[in-house]
Amino acid sequence: MKPAPFRYEAADSVEAALALLVHEDARPLAGGQSLVPMLNFRLARPELIVDLNPVRELAGLAVTADGALRIGAMTRQAALLRSPAVADGWPLLTEAVAHVGHSVTRNRGTVGGSVAQADPKAELGVALTALGARFHVRSGERGGRTLGAAELFAGPFTTALRDGELLVEIEVPPAPTGARMAFVEHARTHGDFAVAGVAVVHAAGGHVAIALLGAGAVPIRAEAAERALREGVDASEAARLAADGVPDDYRRALLQTLTERALARVTT
Amino acid sequence: MTAGTMIGASLRRREDARVLRGETRYLDDIECPGTTHAAFVRSPYAHASIESISVPQAAPGLIAVVTAADLGDAVRPYPVMEPQGAEVRVSEAHPVLAAGEVRYAGQAVALVIAESRALAEDAAELVEVDYDPLPVVTSPRASDVELMRWQRRAGDVEAAFAAAAHVVTGSYALPRLVAAPMEPRGCVASYDATADLLTVWCSAQDTHRPLEHLAHILGRPESAIRVIVPDVGGAFGSKGVIAPEVAAVAAAALRLGIGVKWTEDRLENMLASSQGRGIEGELDLALDAEGRMLALRARLWSDLGGYLLTTTPLPPHTAATLIAGCYDIAVADVTVVGARTHKVPIGPYRGAGRPDAAYMLEALVDEAARQIGIDRVALRRRNLIRAFPHTTPTGLEYDSGDFERCLDLALELAATEPDKRHGPARDDVYVHGTGIAVYVERAGGAFESAAIELLEDGRFAIASSSSPHGQGHDITFAQIAADRLHVPIDAIELSFGDSATTPPGVGTFGSRSVAMAGSAVALAADELSEQARALAAEVGLDTAPALNWVALAQAADAPLRAQAQFRSANVFSSGAYAASVRIDRATGALTVERLVAVDDAGTLINPLLVHGQVLGGAVQALGECLSEEAVYDEDGQMRSGSFLEYGLLTAADIPPIVTGEVETPSPLNPLGAKGAGEGGAVGALPAVANAVTDALGGRYVAPPFTADKLWRALRAAP
Amino acid sequence: MQINGRVHEGEVEPRTLLSDFIRHQAGLTGTHVGCEHGVCGACTVQLDGEPIRSCLMLAVQANGRTLRTVEGLAEPDGSLTALQRAFTEHHALQCGFCTSGFLMTADALVRRPGAAALTEAEIRQELAGNLCRCTGYEGIVASVLAVLGTAS
Repeated sequence: MKPAPFRYEAADSVEAALALLVHEDARPLAGGQSLVPMLNFRLARPELIVDLNPVRELAGLAVTADGALRIGAMTRQAALLRSPAVADGWPLLTEAVAHVGHSVTRNRGTVGGSVAQADPKAELGVALTALGARFHVRSGERGGRTLGAAELFAGPFTTALRDGELLVEIEVPPAPTGARMAFVEHARTHGDFAVAGVAVVHAAGGHVAIALLGAGAVPIRAEAAERALREGVDASEAARLAADGVPDDYRRALLQTLTERALARVTT
Repeated sequence: MTAGTMIGASLRRREDARVLRGETRYLDDIECPGTTHAAFVRSPYAHASIESISVPQAAPGLIAVVTAADLGDAVRPYPVMEPQGAEVRVSEAHPVLAAGEVRYAGQAVALVIAESRALAEDAAELVEVDYDPLPVVTSPRASDVELMRWQRRAGDVEAAFAAAAHVVTGSYALPRLVAAPMEPRGCVASYDATADLLTVWCSAQDTHRPLEHLAHILGRPESAIRVIVPDVGGAFGSKGVIAPEVAAVAAAALRLGIGVKWTEDRLENMLASSQGRGIEGELDLALDAEGRMLALRARLWSDLGGYLLTTTPLPPHTAATLIAGCYDIAVADVTVVGARTHKVPIGPYRGAGRPDAAYMLEALVDEAARQIGIDRVALRRRNLIRAFPHTTPTGLEYDSGDFERCLDLALELAATEPDKRHGPARDDVYVHGTGIAVYVERAGGAFESAAIELLEDGRFAIASSSSPHGQGHDITFAQIAADRLHVPIDAIELSFGDSATTPPGVGTFGSRSVAMAGSAVALAADELSEQARALAAEVGLDTAPALNWVALAQAADAPLRAQAQFRSANVFSSGAYAASVRIDRATGALTVERLVAVDDAGTLINPLLVHGQVLGGAVQALGECLSEEAVYDEDGQMRSGSFLEYGLLTAADIPPIVTGEVETPSPLNPLGAKGAGEGGAVGALPAVANAVTDALGGRYVAPPFTADKLWRALRAAP
Repeated sequence: MQINGRVHEGEVEPRTLLSDFIRHQAGLTGTHVGCEHGVCGACTVQLDGEPIRSCLMLAVQANGRTLRTVEGLAEPDGSLTALQRAFTEHHALQCGFCTSGFLMTADALVRRPGAAALTEAEIRQELAGNLCRCTGYEGIVASVLAVLGTAS
């Protein structure tokens, strides 16, 4: 299918992009791996496409002086996958992004694009949720604000981004010392969308994060399970608590098993 | 090159070079100056009456909008085949464009022609169709409209069942599948008024059926139509019958006198291309106390779709005729009903009824083994057909075969050290299962032809009636000709796919090309050799040790030519497959650990290409087992309408596959060839299905064997 | 844009996909369109050496960039690369429609530093972004293994 007609503008800076995105029927174009299929299906019919690819300041990975990871929204998924700094400090991201699409789509797909798409089946959103990521957003008129994962992911394919707002950077705090991480998912075929998945971070000293993919329409922190683990329950019981409340019996069992397997990798 | 070194040689395909360099011409690569572009307005409803259609007066780049009313009686509905003994409701043939009613979501309602595809799609959105939705039927057994029925009884069925020591019953279902070739369908139609010639380039499986169907639908003699088949990116049965859209485009080109191109996109193909399988069955098997099969009863219901395309009745009929499989059962009562449902019509898709039959029968045989307490291999051995030719209770005559040797070889290969790729599997985490299946499939049949000419330089040009779409006809037929003529392979040139020059034939489908078209090539080469020997005698040229073709070419007044037609009854390929699987108890995830594939396709011309066909078919069957399903909701809406939902397997999903060959030549053609195109799709399905049932302790689940289904089956009450 | 070393210019609507520009305006029809939603990989070309889906990029985005398609894969003297020859040797193609996409993905893969250390399972994962409906993938995987095996 061919897209419906639209106008195209290439932004060369964040300011320029924000100025263009003020247009009421404008959509930003990042990697295109999610947006262009929707354009081709005529499911998305914006009047204006604002190409973010030339905006150099939006791309790039850096580790700050205080050990946080700053991911420019336009950072390619392939760059995240290849980064030794990420593999060293936040191996959960390296493992999760390896499940996103395929090698070739990761050459263009961006981290910010995946986050903004807010597909309930997306791996990066879940991993970033488990890592306590903060999402920096800017708008031409309202300046900047920062959102946590729970605030950002509002519903299926829906973020809390308002009209004219652009996700510019994702900041991931340094992981606790000695933290171990695991990402586990079940998909129908290789590289297919995940049916369910779990991202866990665990450090001796009580830090534990369990984020679920497929338990609802957004990534969900299994807070009751996290609390219970800190209080000393075993991984099995924690996994049961994590999946508790998921309505479908198969999905509940699957999430429980995946959580158990992920926890086994980080606690033994 | 000495005689006899060509047959059975795994020569590499010389036709690959063009592909590797990107020099191929598939349908959408064809650019004729001034060609316009087509898009279709398609029904969003699975069943509705059309109250009115209003078309835009003008739109950017819009050239014309064509509806059924505009075509009027310039087009007739499709011709529909009537398999022998079947009642077929030919009045329910598929119309070209919807006239007054639509019977499946995606059915073409109006043809929009514009300067580009994008502009045609823009204009299509401006066409307003007023639909009045009607009730939707999606299940064959809930339908009260039969589009076809076939029934056969042989022997005293009641007596056999009454006398039986054991009666085993099974209830089976296969969902619909999408053929999904990587290249969707398409055509370019162009009318030359001066010559009164309609030329249609068509992404098709052959020139013959498009020519015949277009002639019938357009009411035009075949001599006034030229069909050209370019490079074709796969078909698997779905490009055998021309799409209604192709007929509409051809009719429009005729009427408007302009060139029109339709390149189907993937979404259209998922929705409107004919689908495969979609069958339910209830089978009963009567056995004596020793496990000898006495009689088989089968009731099959095919989810046929809203209309009949030309070959829609064929797959269910084939399933019914092959239902007794490899077993020596003389008494049978088989009925197949094709019910009308509000979906796109069924058509042949790799196997086209053969996998359906093998799947149900082999599941039933395993069930019998479980019920009686006999080993499933021993039960099969006790009942395999051993004497050929063999006539089945459904009226088929198997030419030759050695079913037991296939079974033995499959078991031998299955017993060898398992591939370590998946690592050792723990019983507390996994449940294991193994499955075995034997199959027989109908191949060949009807006729094909070949025309051969000796060129001035002593080389040969052969026009074959058969068209390739990936099978390797060029190298294979060259091998056959080179073998018969005792010349090097480079001396042979093949041409295919132009009705102006292609000799008569039927088509590329049903595992028939080597047996039929290959034999025609052999016969044409033999006839040319006879003419050449006569000429040699006349002009005093030696015929030993070999014919001097260069000298003969020069000596001939007119170029030496021969044409041969080869016709035969069906030949029957067969085989035995074995699979081992494991299921993750906690998640239900299925892993096929290994597949063993033993096929008997008679004499193999090029074993490398045969291996490719077996693997390709087996992987399609694996897709059917693991993830593929055309999903419809109760409103007849297709829920698996793109590659994002429809689960095609990737390179990372394929288990180790071990192959073996048995060659029992067919007595019915000069090559001894049968057919290898579909065996993989036929044998792998029942083998994997039986392995899954084994892992589930005898509990039956319909494919695809997705994790949620297996998880529930493992926990269901016995 | 530069494709296979030659400059191609054109005026396009913003909505024109790169795949359509390559095929219909540059006339390089070796790149194929199988789905237009980024799953099948038949449209894969190399952008600045990296394989990408040309059906998911707007032609305008490739302005000023360098592309390579299957027509530009062979050696300068016209001879086929080791990978292309391996595809024939190992019967890695039947209908050929997916072949150019696989070649562009595999060509980039075999030239990656450290590729010779890839296991078969890893190679299969790397190729999982290209669909083939004909071959069952065995010949394609064997071709890549063969090329990596003989690379020093």
